Amino acid sequence: MHLLIGLIAVVVVFALLRAFLPGRTGLPVLFLLIAGATLVVLERADLLRIEFWAGSVAFVAILSALLIVLHPNPMVSVLFLIVNLFCIAVFYLMLQAQFLAALQVIVYAGAIMVLFVFVVMLLNLKAEEGLHLGGGAQRGLALALGAAFAGLMLWAIKTRREPPYFAPSSFAGGFGTAREVGALLFAKYLFAFEAASILLVAAMVGAVILAKRKLE
Amino acid sequence: MMHVEFFLIIAALLFSIGCVGVLIRRNAIVILMCIELMLNAVNLTFVAFAAEGQAMTGHIFVFFVMTVAAAEAAVGLAIVIAFFRRRRSTDVDDASLMRW
Repeated sequence: MHLLIGLIAVVVVFALLRAFLPGRTGLPVLFLLIAGATLVVLERADLLRIEFWAGSVAFVAILSALLIVLHPNPMVSVLFLIVNLFCIAVFYLMLQAQFLAALQVIVYAGAIMVLFVFVVMLLNLKAEEGLHLGGGAQRGLALALGAAFAGLMLWAIKTRREPPYFAPSSFAGGFGTAREVGALLFAKYLFAFEAASILLVAAMVGAVILAKRKLE
Repeated sequence: MMHVEFFLIIAALLFSIGCVGVLIRRNAIVILMCIELMLNAVNLTFVAFAAEGQAMTGHIFVFFVMTVAAAEAAVGLAIVIAFFRRRRSTDVDDASLMRW
């Protein structure tokens, strides 16, 4: 946790350095390297604990999410979204959801993101000039609403009265495997599964019709 | 031994970032990516609660959210392509024909 907070502080300082010293790119990068090395040395006792790795992956996930939103070039945003999806796949593994982690990498990072990359390259999108972010009032309102929403959710998480720990040893055998997911999916949730297949067919037909040059 | 809260907090932060992204970005493709980010945050919450409650229903929900996300991405990107062909732009502010 300390490492996470420290890394976030480092990145904030890095962003400030970049913003106020636009000409000299070497200095902020040097600062980033020194700060990162210092943090690793300070936290070396934690290096082999799962909290350290969870915190690092969480840091990468939050950072890549911010870069998706803030980077002016859509292509870079797509690549950071792929990084973010891999981080979430790691979280799935930590939560005993092996099948979903594999699905996340194959379907999300593999198939859906290829669609995004393909469209960005097809349309040949360039970086926006100076990151056009809507009007000033809209931006301020959006940031305030987002901060308020985050605060509300964090408050809700903090005040819930559930057992805060889960022990990996308490999972039933086969929890999260493809066999268990399939057994549920094809027995209890069979109707929803078929409805999802109809939805996919409808979406496929709709996408083909929409992207067609001319309907005849 | 991990806190379930840890994953819930990460998911809440990712959802908020995606939400702000949808509101402040003007590029339709980036808005679609922010929606994917929000869906993933919700998925992470589902999986965290599934681990806490030792019930696999959350995994099934994540499966269906992934299906819907795939359908949404395909249709959304098709709309973006059709719009780009007409207006040479992916800026949502250019889609103002039906605005009051």
